[in-house]
Amino acid sequence: MNNPTIRNWLGFSTLALMLASLFMVFDYVPPDAEMGIAQLIFYFHVPLAWVAFASFGLVAIAGIFYLWLGDQLWDDLGYAAAETGMVFCTLMIVAGSIWAKPIWGTWWTWDSRLTMTFILWLMYGGYLMLRASADDTPQVARFGAVIGIVAAMDVPIVIVSVRLWRTIHPAVLVTKQGTHGLEDPRMVWTLLVSLTAFTLLWAWLLMLRFTQLRTRSRMAWLAGRIALATAAASDPK
Amino acid sequence: MGAHFGYLFAAYSIIFVAMFLYVMFIWRRQAALDAELRTLEARVAALTEHSAAGRPPEPRSGA
Amino acid sequence: MSGFAAVLRKDLRLELRSGESTLALLALSMLVLVVLVFALGAARVRSVDAAAGALWVAMVFAGMLGANRALLAERDNGAIRGLLLSPLDPSTLYAAKLCAAFIFMAVAEVGAVVLMVLFFNLDFDASMARLAPILVLGAIGFSALATLLSAITGRTRGGDMLLPILAVPIFVPALIAGVKASAAALSGAPFESMGDWLKIMIAFDVLFVTAGYLLFEHVVGGD
Repeated sequence: MNNPTIRNWLGFSTLALMLASLFMVFDYVPPDAEMGIAQLIFYFHVPLAWVAFASFGLVAIAGIFYLWLGDQLWDDLGYAAAETGMVFCTLMIVAGSIWAKPIWGTWWTWDSRLTMTFILWLMYGGYLMLRASADDTPQVARFGAVIGIVAAMDVPIVIVSVRLWRTIHPAVLVTKQGTHGLEDPRMVWTLLVSLTAFTLLWAWLLMLRFTQLRTRSRMAWLAGRIALATAAASDPK
Repeated sequence: MGAHFGYLFAAYSIIFVAMFLYVMFIWRRQAALDAELRTLEARVAALTEHSAAGRPPEPRSGA
Repeated sequence: MSGFAAVLRKDLRLELRSGESTLALLALSMLVLVVLVFALGAARVRSVDAAAGALWVAMVFAGMLGANRALLAERDNGAIRGLLLSPLDPSTLYAAKLCAAFIFMAVAEVGAVVLMVLFFNLDFDASMARLAPILVLGAIGFSALATLLSAITGRTRGGDMLLPILAVPIFVPALIAGVKASAAALSGAPFESMGDWLKIMIAFDVLFVTAGYLLFEHVVGGD
Protein backbone atom coordinates (compact mmCIF):
# COMPACT_ATOMS: atom_id res chain seq x y z
CA MET A 1 0.00 0.00 0.00
CA ASN A 2 2.77 2.43 0.88
CA ASN A 3 4.91 1.15 -1.92
CA PRO A 4 6.33 4.13 -3.78
CA THR A 5 6.93 2.07 -6.90
CA ILE A 6 3.25 1.25 -7.23
CA ARG A 7 2.42 4.86 -6.54
CA ASN A 8 4.71 6.12 -9.24
CA TRP A 9 3.48 3.61 -11.78
CA LEU A 10 -0.05 4.63 -10.94
CA GLY A 11 0.88 8.26 -11.38
CA PHE A 12 2.53 7.73 -14.73
CA SER A 13 -0.22 5.58 -16.15
CA THR A 14 -2.74 8.14 -14.98
CA LEU A 15 -0.89 10.85 -16.80
CA ALA A 16 -0.59 8.76 -19.94
CA LEU A 17 -4.24 7.83 -20.02
CA MET A 18 -5.40 11.34 -19.24
CA LEU A 19 -3.39 12.64 -22.17
CA ALA A 20 -4.78 9.90 -24.36
CA SER A 21 -8.31 10.70 -23.33
CA LEU A 22 -7.76 14.41 -23.95
CA PHE A 23 -6.50 13.64 -27.41
CA MET A 24 -9.45 11.40 -28.12
CA VAL A 25 -11.98 13.92 -26.91
CA PHE A 26 -10.59 16.84 -28.80
CA ASP A 27 -9.25 15.22 -31.91
CA TYR A 28 -10.74 11.80 -32.43
CA VAL A 29 -14.35 11.49 -31.43
CA PRO A 30 -17.03 13.33 -33.37
CA PRO A 31 -19.19 15.59 -31.24
CA ASP A 32 -22.87 14.85 -31.01
CA ALA A 33 -24.68 16.18 -34.03
CA GLU A 34 -27.41 18.06 -32.18
CA MET A 35 -25.69 19.27 -29.05
CA GLY A 36 -22.53 20.54 -30.59
CA ILE A 37 -19.13 20.80 -29.12
CA ALA A 38 -20.19 21.35 -25.52
CA GLN A 39 -21.46 17.79 -25.49
CA LEU A 40 -17.87 16.66 -25.22
CA ILE A 41 -18.02 17.51 -21.54
CA PHE A 42 -19.94 14.24 -21.32
CA TYR A 43 -16.68 12.31 -21.61
CA PHE A 44 -15.42 13.86 -18.43
CA HIS A 45 -18.72 14.19 -16.67
CA VAL A 46 -19.66 10.51 -16.73
CA PRO A 47 -16.31 9.27 -15.33
CA LEU A 48 -16.49 11.93 -12.60
CA ALA A 49 -19.92 10.63 -11.69
CA TRP A 50 -18.79 7.02 -11.51
CA VAL A 51 -15.83 7.95 -9.32
CA ALA A 52 -17.90 10.16 -7.03
CA PHE A 53 -20.32 7.34 -6.31
CA ALA A 54 -17.65 4.66 -6.12
CA SER A 55 -15.65 6.70 -3.66
CA PHE A 56 -18.68 7.07 -1.46
CA GLY A 57 -19.17 3.34 -1.54
CA LEU A 58 -15.57 2.98 -0.46
CA VAL A 59 -16.17 5.29 2.51
CA ALA A 60 -18.99 3.01 3.61
CA ILE A 61 -17.05 -0.21 3.11
CA ALA A 62 -14.06 1.21 4.96
CA GLY A 63 -16.45 2.22 7.72
CA ILE A 64 -17.80 -1.30 8.02
CA PHE A 65 -14.30 -2.75 8.24
CA TYR A 66 -13.28 -0.14 10.77
CA LEU A 67 -16.20 -0.91 13.06
CA TRP A 68 -15.58 -4.61 12.66
CA LEU A 69 -11.79 -4.80 12.91
CA GLY A 70 -10.91 -1.61 14.75
CA ASP A 71 -7.72 -1.05 12.77
CA GLN A 72 -6.98 2.65 12.21
CA LEU A 73 -5.97 1.79 8.66
CA TRP A 74 -9.61 1.49 7.65
CA ASP A 75 -10.50 4.85 9.07
CA ASP A 76 -7.62 6.46 7.19
CA LEU A 77 -8.84 4.83 4.00
CA GLY A 78 -12.38 6.04 4.58
CA TYR A 79 -11.29 9.58 5.26
CA ALA A 80 -9.07 9.65 2.16
CA ALA A 81 -11.93 8.27 0.08
CA ALA A 82 -14.26 10.93 1.44
CA GLU A 83 -11.87 13.72 0.54
CA THR A 84 -11.10 12.52 -2.95
CA GLY A 85 -14.75 11.69 -3.51
CA MET A 86 -15.72 15.20 -2.50
CA VAL A 87 -13.29 16.66 -5.03
CA PHE A 88 -14.70 14.50 -7.82
CA CYS A 89 -18.30 15.10 -6.78
CA THR A 90 -17.83 18.87 -6.75
CA LEU A 91 -16.23 18.73 -10.18
CA MET A 92 -19.05 16.60 -11.46
CA ILE A 93 -21.61 19.15 -10.40
CA VAL A 94 -19.57 22.01 -11.84
CA ALA A 95 -19.02 20.17 -15.12
CA GLY A 96 -22.68 19.22 -15.28
CA SER A 97 -23.70 22.79 -14.68
CA ILE A 98 -21.37 24.08 -17.37
CA TRP A 99 -22.82 21.48 -19.72
CA ALA A 100 -26.36 22.46 -18.84
CA LYS A 101 -25.91 26.14 -19.61
CA PRO A 102 -25.39 25.94 -23.37
CA ILE A 103 -27.52 22.84 -23.87
CA TRP A 104 -30.52 23.67 -21.72
CA GLY A 105 -30.03 27.37 -21.20
CA THR A 106 -29.89 27.20 -17.43
CA TRP A 107 -27.14 26.71 -14.85
CA TRP A 108 -29.14 24.41 -12.66
CA THR A 109 -32.18 22.20 -12.85
CA TRP A 110 -33.75 19.71 -10.48
CA ASP A 111 -33.24 16.91 -12.95
CA SER A 112 -33.15 13.59 -11.12
CA ARG A 113 -29.47 12.93 -11.69
CA LEU A 114 -28.28 16.40 -10.76
CA THR A 115 -30.47 16.33 -7.68
CA MET A 116 -29.05 12.96 -6.64
CA THR A 117 -25.53 14.22 -7.11
CA PHE A 118 -26.24 17.31 -5.09
CA ILE A 119 -27.55 15.20 -2.23
CA LEU A 120 -24.44 13.03 -2.46
CA TRP A 121 -22.38 16.20 -2.29
CA LEU A 122 -24.24 17.26 0.85
CA MET A 123 -23.58 13.88 2.42
CA TYR A 124 -19.88 14.16 1.67
CA GLY A 125 -19.94 17.66 3.11
CA GLY A 126 -21.60 16.45 6.29
CA TYR A 127 -19.01 13.72 6.75
CA LEU A 128 -16.09 16.06 6.20
CA MET A 129 -17.54 18.71 8.48
CA LEU A 130 -17.97 16.13 11.20
CA ARG A 131 -14.35 15.01 10.91
CA ALA A 132 -13.08 18.57 10.70
CA SER A 133 -14.96 19.78 13.74
CA ALA A 134 -13.75 17.04 16.04
CA ASP A 135 -10.36 15.70 17.07
CA ASP A 136 -8.97 12.54 15.57
CA THR A 137 -9.92 10.11 18.26
CA PRO A 138 -11.08 6.53 17.73
CA GLN A 139 -14.52 7.64 18.93
CA VAL A 140 -14.76 10.23 16.18
CA ALA A 141 -13.50 7.69 13.68
CA ARG A 142 -16.37 5.45 14.71
CA PHE A 143 -18.78 8.35 14.24
CA GLY A 144 -17.43 8.85 10.74
CA ALA A 145 -17.81 5.17 9.96
CA VAL A 146 -21.43 5.14 11.10
CA ILE A 147 -22.26 8.25 9.06
CA GLY A 148 -20.59 6.81 6.00
CA ILE A 149 -22.48 3.55 6.29
CA VAL A 150 -25.83 5.14 7.00
CA ALA A 151 -25.54 7.65 4.18
CA ALA A 152 -24.43 5.03 1.65
CA MET A 153 -27.35 2.79 2.61
CA ASP A 154 -29.62 5.71 1.96
CA VAL A 155 -28.33 6.39 -1.54
CA PRO A 156 -30.43 3.74 -3.35
CA ILE A 157 -33.60 5.03 -1.70
CA VAL A 158 -32.69 8.58 -2.61
CA ILE A 159 -32.19 7.57 -6.23
CA VAL A 160 -35.58 5.87 -6.39
CA SER A 161 -37.45 8.68 -4.68
CA VAL A 162 -35.82 11.49 -6.66
CA ARG A 163 -36.47 9.71 -9.93
CA LEU A 164 -40.10 9.20 -8.99
CA TRP A 165 -40.34 12.82 -7.91
CA ARG A 166 -39.12 14.05 -11.26
CA THR A 167 -41.28 11.84 -13.44
CA ILE A 168 -44.50 12.88 -11.72
CA HIS A 169 -43.85 16.41 -12.90
CA PRO A 170 -42.92 16.13 -16.56
CA ALA A 171 -39.57 17.76 -16.82
CA VAL A 172 -39.42 20.84 -18.93
CA LEU A 173 -35.98 19.77 -19.99
CA VAL A 174 -35.16 16.43 -21.45
CA THR A 175 -33.11 14.26 -19.15
CA LYS A 176 -29.48 13.90 -19.95
CA GLN A 177 -28.36 11.41 -22.48
CA GLY A 178 -27.30 8.10 -20.98
CA THR A 179 -24.57 5.85 -22.22
CA HIS A 180 -27.01 4.07 -24.50
CA GLY A 181 -27.49 6.17 -27.58
CA LEU A 182 -23.82 6.24 -28.45
CA GLU A 183 -24.07 5.28 -32.10
CA ASP A 184 -20.53 5.89 -33.18
CA PRO A 185 -18.05 3.29 -31.84
CA ARG A 186 -15.50 6.06 -31.48
CA MET A 187 -17.72 7.54 -28.81
CA VAL A 188 -17.70 4.27 -26.92
CA TRP A 189 -13.92 4.01 -27.07
CA THR A 190 -13.43 7.57 -25.96
CA LEU A 191 -15.74 7.05 -23.05
CA LEU A 192 -13.95 3.88 -22.00
CA VAL A 193 -10.55 5.51 -22.17
CA SER A 194 -11.83 8.49 -20.23
CA LEU A 195 -13.42 6.22 -17.65
CA THR A 196 -10.17 4.36 -17.16
CA ALA A 197 -8.16 7.55 -17.01
CA PHE A 198 -10.30 9.05 -14.29
CA THR A 199 -10.45 5.85 -12.30
CA LEU A 200 -6.67 5.74 -12.33
CA LEU A 201 -6.52 9.40 -11.35
CA TRP A 202 -8.82 8.65 -8.45
CA ALA A 203 -6.77 5.65 -7.40
CA TRP A 204 -3.58 7.69 -7.52
CA LEU A 205 -4.98 10.61 -5.49
CA LEU A 206 -6.53 8.17 -3.06
CA MET A 207 -3.23 6.42 -2.58
CA LEU A 208 -1.40 9.70 -2.03
CA ARG A 209 -3.82 10.93 0.57
CA PHE A 210 -4.23 7.53 2.18
CA THR A 211 -0.50 7.01 2.69
CA GLN A 212 -0.29 10.49 4.10
CA LEU A 213 -3.05 9.80 6.62
CA ARG A 214 -1.45 6.47 7.50
CA THR A 215 1.82 8.20 8.20
CA ARG A 216 0.06 10.74 10.35
CA SER A 217 -1.75 8.08 12.35
CA ARG A 218 1.38 6.06 12.93
CA MET A 219 3.29 9.14 13.97
CA ALA A 220 0.59 10.02 16.46
CA TRP A 221 0.86 6.55 17.91
CA LEU A 222 4.62 6.81 17.98
CA ALA A 223 4.51 10.18 19.70
CA GLY A 224 2.34 8.65 22.37
CA ARG A 225 4.81 5.84 22.94
CA ILE A 226 7.72 8.23 23.11
CA ALA A 227 5.94 10.35 25.67
CA LEU A 228 5.35 7.27 27.78
CA ALA A 229 8.95 6.18 27.45
CA THR A 230 10.20 9.65 28.35
CA ALA A 231 8.02 9.77 31.41
CA ALA A 232 9.08 6.31 32.48
CA ALA A 233 12.76 7.09 32.01
CA SER A 234 12.59 10.23 34.08
CA ASP A 235 10.95 8.47 37.03
CA PRO A 236 13.41 8.02 39.87
CA LYS A 237 13.79 4.28 40.20
CA MET B 1 -19.96 24.55 -33.58
CA GLY B 2 -17.24 26.65 -32.07
CA ALA B 3 -19.91 28.72 -30.42
CA HIS B 4 -19.90 26.65 -27.26
CA PHE B 5 -16.22 26.10 -27.18
CA GLY B 6 -15.87 28.51 -24.29
CA TYR B 7 -17.97 26.27 -22.08
CA LEU B 8 -16.03 23.20 -23.03
CA PHE B 9 -12.76 24.91 -22.32
CA ALA B 10 -14.02 26.23 -18.99
CA ALA B 11 -15.18 22.81 -17.86
CA TYR B 12 -11.95 21.06 -18.70
CA SER B 13 -9.79 23.80 -17.24
CA ILE B 14 -11.67 23.76 -13.97
CA ILE B 15 -11.23 20.02 -13.72
CA PHE B 16 -7.51 20.18 -14.22
CA VAL B 17 -7.00 23.18 -11.98
CA ALA B 18 -8.95 21.47 -9.20
CA MET B 19 -6.89 18.30 -9.47
CA PHE B 20 -3.71 20.33 -9.41
CA LEU B 21 -4.88 22.23 -6.32
CA TYR B 22 -5.69 19.00 -4.51
CA VAL B 23 -2.25 17.62 -5.25
CA MET B 24 -0.75 20.87 -3.94
CA PHE B 25 -2.84 20.51 -0.79
CA ILE B 26 -1.48 17.00 -0.25
CA TRP B 27 2.07 18.12 -0.96
CA ARG B 28 1.96 20.91 1.59
CA ARG B 29 0.53 18.63 4.25
CA GLN B 30 3.41 16.31 3.52
CA ALA B 31 5.95 19.01 4.34
CA ALA B 32 4.34 19.53 7.73
CA LEU B 33 4.32 15.80 8.37
CA ASP B 34 7.99 15.52 7.51
CA ALA B 35 8.86 18.27 9.98
CA GLU B 36 6.92 16.45 12.69
CA LEU B 37 8.72 13.24 11.80
CA ARG B 38 12.10 14.89 12.27
CA THR B 39 11.02 16.10 15.72
CA LEU B 40 10.01 12.59 16.68
CA GLU B 41 13.26 11.18 15.40
CA ALA B 42 15.19 13.68 17.49
CA ARG B 43 13.24 12.64 20.57
CA VAL B 44 13.98 9.00 19.98
CA ALA B 45 17.65 9.82 19.54
CA ALA B 46 17.65 11.78 22.79
CA LEU B 47 15.98 8.89 24.61
CA THR B 48 18.43 6.30 23.37
CA GLU B 49 21.57 8.33 24.07
CA HIS B 50 20.42 9.25 27.54
CA SER B 51 19.57 5.72 28.48
CA ALA B 52 22.97 4.68 27.15
CA ALA B 53 24.60 7.31 29.38
CA GLY B 54 22.54 6.07 32.34
CA ARG B 55 20.90 9.40 33.01
CA PRO B 56 17.20 10.09 32.62
CA PRO B 57 16.36 12.73 30.01
CA GLU B 58 14.51 15.91 30.99
CA PRO B 59 10.79 15.36 30.86
CA ARG B 60 9.33 17.05 27.84
CA SER B 61 5.94 18.66 27.91
CA GLY B 62 3.39 17.81 25.29
CA ALA B 63 3.48 14.88 22.95
CA MET C 1 -39.34 -3.80 34.83
CA SER C 2 -37.30 -4.29 31.71
CA GLY C 3 -34.54 -1.85 30.88
CA PHE C 4 -36.37 -0.70 27.81
CA ALA C 5 -39.47 0.20 29.73
CA ALA C 6 -37.45 1.86 32.46
CA VAL C 7 -35.63 4.21 30.10
CA LEU C 8 -38.80 4.98 28.20
CA ARG C 9 -40.71 5.70 31.36
CA LYS C 10 -37.93 7.96 32.61
CA ASP C 11 -37.89 10.04 29.44
CA LEU C 12 -41.64 10.36 29.34
CA ARG C 13 -41.94 11.14 33.04
CA LEU C 14 -39.31 13.85 32.77
CA GLU C 15 -41.22 15.42 29.97
CA LEU C 16 -44.61 15.13 31.59
CA ARG C 17 -43.30 16.84 34.68
CA SER C 18 -42.00 19.93 32.98
CA GLY C 19 -43.64 19.86 29.57
CA GLU C 20 -41.13 22.38 28.37
CA SER C 21 -39.82 20.38 25.44
CA THR C 22 -43.29 19.70 24.11
CA LEU C 23 -44.17 23.33 24.42
CA ALA C 24 -41.04 24.33 22.56
CA LEU C 25 -41.77 21.87 19.77
CA LEU C 26 -45.31 23.09 19.36
CA ALA C 27 -44.19 26.69 19.43
CA LEU C 28 -41.53 26.04 16.80
CA SER C 29 -44.03 24.25 14.54
CA MET C 30 -46.39 27.15 14.76
CA LEU C 31 -43.72 29.73 14.08
CA VAL C 32 -42.42 27.82 11.08
CA LEU C 33 -45.93 27.62 9.67
CA VAL C 34 -46.47 31.32 10.24
CA VAL C 35 -43.25 32.19 8.47
CA LEU C 36 -44.21 29.99 5.54
CA VAL C 37 -47.66 31.51 5.27
CA PHE C 38 -46.14 34.96 4.97
CA ALA C 39 -43.30 33.80 2.77
CA LEU C 40 -45.52 31.95 0.30
CA GLY C 41 -48.15 34.64 0.06
CA ALA C 42 -51.90 34.50 0.40
CA ALA C 43 -52.58 33.11 -3.08
CA ARG C 44 -50.39 30.07 -2.72
CA VAL C 45 -51.69 29.33 0.74
CA ARG C 46 -54.84 27.93 -0.83
CA SER C 47 -53.01 25.06 -2.44
CA VAL C 48 -52.89 21.62 -0.90
CA ASP C 49 -49.30 21.17 -2.06
CA ALA C 50 -48.22 24.24 -0.12
CA ALA C 51 -50.02 22.99 2.97
CA ALA C 52 -48.40 19.57 2.80
CA GLY C 53 -44.99 21.11 2.20
CA ALA C 54 -45.35 23.55 5.07
CA LEU C 55 -46.46 20.76 7.39
CA TRP C 56 -43.37 18.71 6.65
CA VAL C 57 -41.04 21.68 7.00
CA ALA C 58 -42.49 22.33 10.43
CA MET C 59 -42.16 18.65 11.34
CA VAL C 60 -38.56 18.38 10.28
CA PHE C 61 -37.51 21.48 12.16
CA ALA C 62 -39.43 20.50 15.25
CA GLY C 63 -38.00 17.01 15.00
CA MET C 64 -34.47 18.30 14.95
CA LEU C 65 -35.06 20.55 17.90
CA GLY C 66 -36.55 17.65 19.78
CA ALA C 67 -33.64 15.39 19.02
CA ASN C 68 -31.09 17.94 20.15
CA ARG C 69 -32.87 18.54 23.42
CA ALA C 70 -33.41 14.89 24.16
CA LEU C 71 -29.74 14.23 24.31
CA LEU C 72 -28.93 17.56 25.91
CA ALA C 73 -30.62 16.61 29.14
CA GLU C 74 -28.59 13.49 29.50
CA ARG C 75 -25.32 14.98 28.39
CA ASP C 76 -25.49 17.89 30.80
CA ASN C 77 -25.87 15.73 33.83
CA GLY C 78 -23.44 13.10 32.70
CA ALA C 79 -26.36 10.76 33.00
CA ILE C 80 -25.37 9.05 29.81
CA ARG C 81 -22.47 7.42 31.62
CA GLY C 82 -24.83 6.04 34.18
CA LEU C 83 -26.92 4.52 31.46
CA LEU C 84 -23.91 2.97 29.82
CA LEU C 85 -22.59 1.48 33.04
CA SER C 86 -25.90 -0.22 33.61
CA PRO C 87 -26.34 -3.72 32.18
CA LEU C 88 -28.66 -2.25 29.60
CA ASP C 89 -27.51 -3.19 26.11
CA PRO C 90 -27.07 -0.29 23.68
CA SER C 91 -29.57 -1.56 21.15
CA THR C 92 -32.28 -1.64 23.77
CA LEU C 93 -31.30 1.86 24.81
CA TYR C 94 -31.70 2.89 21.19
CA ALA C 95 -35.14 1.33 20.98
CA ALA C 96 -36.26 3.14 24.10
CA LYS C 97 -34.92 6.50 22.91
CA LEU C 98 -36.50 5.93 19.54
CA CYS C 99 -39.89 5.37 21.12
CA ALA C 100 -39.57 8.46 23.25
CA ALA C 101 -38.54 10.55 20.26
CA PHE C 102 -41.42 9.13 18.26
CA ILE C 103 -43.95 10.00 20.93
CA PHE C 104 -42.68 13.56 21.16
CA MET C 105 -42.69 13.93 17.42
CA ALA C 106 -46.21 12.52 17.17
CA VAL C 107 -47.45 15.07 19.67
CA ALA C 108 -45.75 17.85 17.73
CA GLU C 109 -47.27 16.52 14.51
CA VAL C 110 -50.79 16.65 15.89
CA GLY C 111 -50.28 20.26 16.82
CA ALA C 112 -48.77 21.05 13.43
CA VAL C 113 -51.65 19.39 11.59
CA VAL C 114 -54.21 21.39 13.54
CA LEU C 115 -52.36 24.61 12.75
CA MET C 116 -51.95 23.63 9.13
CA VAL C 117 -55.67 23.06 8.72
CA LEU C 118 -56.36 26.44 10.26
CA PHE C 119 -53.70 28.44 8.45
CA PHE C 120 -54.15 26.87 5.04
CA ASN C 121 -57.93 26.92 4.91
CA LEU C 122 -58.48 23.18 4.97
CA ASP C 123 -61.07 21.03 6.72
CA PHE C 124 -60.98 18.56 9.59
CA ASP C 125 -62.50 15.80 7.51
CA ALA C 126 -61.80 12.30 6.24
CA SER C 127 -58.50 13.42 4.75
CA MET C 128 -57.14 13.60 8.30
CA ALA C 129 -57.62 9.86 8.61
CA ARG C 130 -55.69 9.34 5.40
CA LEU C 131 -52.98 11.70 6.55
CA ALA C 132 -52.42 9.98 9.88
CA PRO C 133 -50.59 6.83 8.72
CA ILE C 134 -48.36 8.91 6.47
CA LEU C 135 -47.32 11.11 9.37
CA VAL C 136 -46.75 8.07 11.57
CA LEU C 137 -44.41 6.58 8.99
CA GLY C 138 -42.61 9.89 8.70
CA ALA C 139 -42.24 10.24 12.45
CA ILE C 140 -40.82 6.72 12.78
CA GLY C 141 -38.25 7.34 10.08
CA PHE C 142 -37.21 10.72 11.34
CA SER C 143 -37.01 9.61 14.96
CA ALA C 144 -34.92 6.60 14.00
CA LEU C 145 -32.49 8.75 12.06
CA ALA C 146 -32.36 11.63 14.52
CA THR C 147 -31.85 9.41 17.57
CA LEU C 148 -28.84 7.81 15.92
CA LEU C 149 -27.38 11.02 14.57
CA SER C 150 -27.92 13.13 17.66
CA ALA C 151 -25.90 10.63 19.67
CA ILE C 152 -23.05 11.57 17.34
CA THR C 153 -23.58 15.29 17.03
CA GLY C 154 -24.29 15.70 20.71
CA ARG C 155 -20.68 14.82 21.40
CA THR C 156 -18.84 16.86 18.82
CA ARG C 157 -18.03 20.56 18.69
CA GLY C 158 -20.63 22.52 16.79
CA GLY C 159 -22.86 19.50 17.07
CA ASP C 160 -26.06 21.46 17.04
CA MET C 161 -25.41 22.80 13.58
CA LEU C 162 -24.13 19.46 12.42
CA LEU C 163 -27.36 17.60 13.07
CA PRO C 164 -29.37 19.26 10.28
CA ILE C 165 -26.42 19.04 7.89
CA LEU C 166 -26.22 15.31 8.41
CA ALA C 167 -29.91 14.57 8.81
CA VAL C 168 -31.50 16.51 5.98
CA PRO C 169 -29.75 14.93 2.96
CA ILE C 170 -30.25 11.48 4.42
CA PHE C 171 -33.92 12.19 5.16
CA VAL C 172 -34.66 13.45 1.63
CA PRO C 173 -36.38 10.30 0.29
CA ALA C 174 -38.78 10.15 3.22
CA LEU C 175 -39.34 13.87 2.88
CA ILE C 176 -40.16 13.73 -0.81
CA ALA C 177 -42.41 10.71 -0.34
CA GLY C 178 -44.05 12.16 2.75
CA VAL C 179 -44.90 15.49 1.17
CA LYS C 180 -46.22 13.90 -2.00
CA ALA C 181 -48.32 11.38 -0.11
CA SER C 182 -49.61 14.05 2.29
CA ALA C 183 -50.64 16.30 -0.56
CA ALA C 184 -52.42 13.39 -2.19
CA ALA C 185 -54.18 12.52 1.07
CA LEU C 186 -55.29 16.08 1.61
CA SER C 187 -56.71 16.39 -1.86
CA GLY C 188 -58.83 13.29 -1.40
CA ALA C 189 -56.89 10.72 -3.38
CA PRO C 190 -57.23 7.06 -2.31
CA PHE C 191 -54.37 5.08 -0.80
CA GLU C 192 -53.71 3.10 -3.95
CA SER C 193 -52.53 6.18 -5.77
CA MET C 194 -49.86 6.87 -3.19
CA GLY C 195 -48.62 3.30 -3.19
CA ASP C 196 -45.14 4.09 -4.43
CA TRP C 197 -44.61 6.86 -1.92
CA LEU C 198 -45.78 4.70 0.96
CA LYS C 199 -43.44 1.94 -0.13
CA ILE C 200 -40.54 4.34 -0.10
CA MET C 201 -41.41 5.53 3.40
CA ILE C 202 -41.78 2.00 4.70
CA ALA C 203 -38.46 1.00 3.16
CA PHE C 204 -36.82 4.03 4.72
CA ASP C 205 -38.27 3.25 8.13
CA VAL C 206 -37.23 -0.39 8.06
CA LEU C 207 -33.75 0.52 6.88
CA PHE C 208 -33.11 3.16 9.48
CA VAL C 209 -34.64 1.48 12.47
CA THR C 210 -32.50 -1.55 11.67
CA ALA C 211 -29.40 0.55 11.07
CA GLY C 212 -29.91 2.46 14.29
CA TYR C 213 -30.51 -0.70 16.26
CA LEU C 214 -27.31 -2.28 14.94
CA LEU C 215 -25.04 0.75 14.93
CA PHE C 216 -26.05 2.52 18.13
CA GLU C 217 -23.51 0.61 20.21
CA HIS C 218 -20.66 2.07 18.16
CA VAL C 219 -21.90 5.52 18.75
CA VAL C 220 -22.35 5.52 22.50
CA GLY C 221 -19.10 3.89 23.40
CA GLY C 222 -16.79 5.12 26.10
CA ASP C 223 -14.77 8.25 25.46
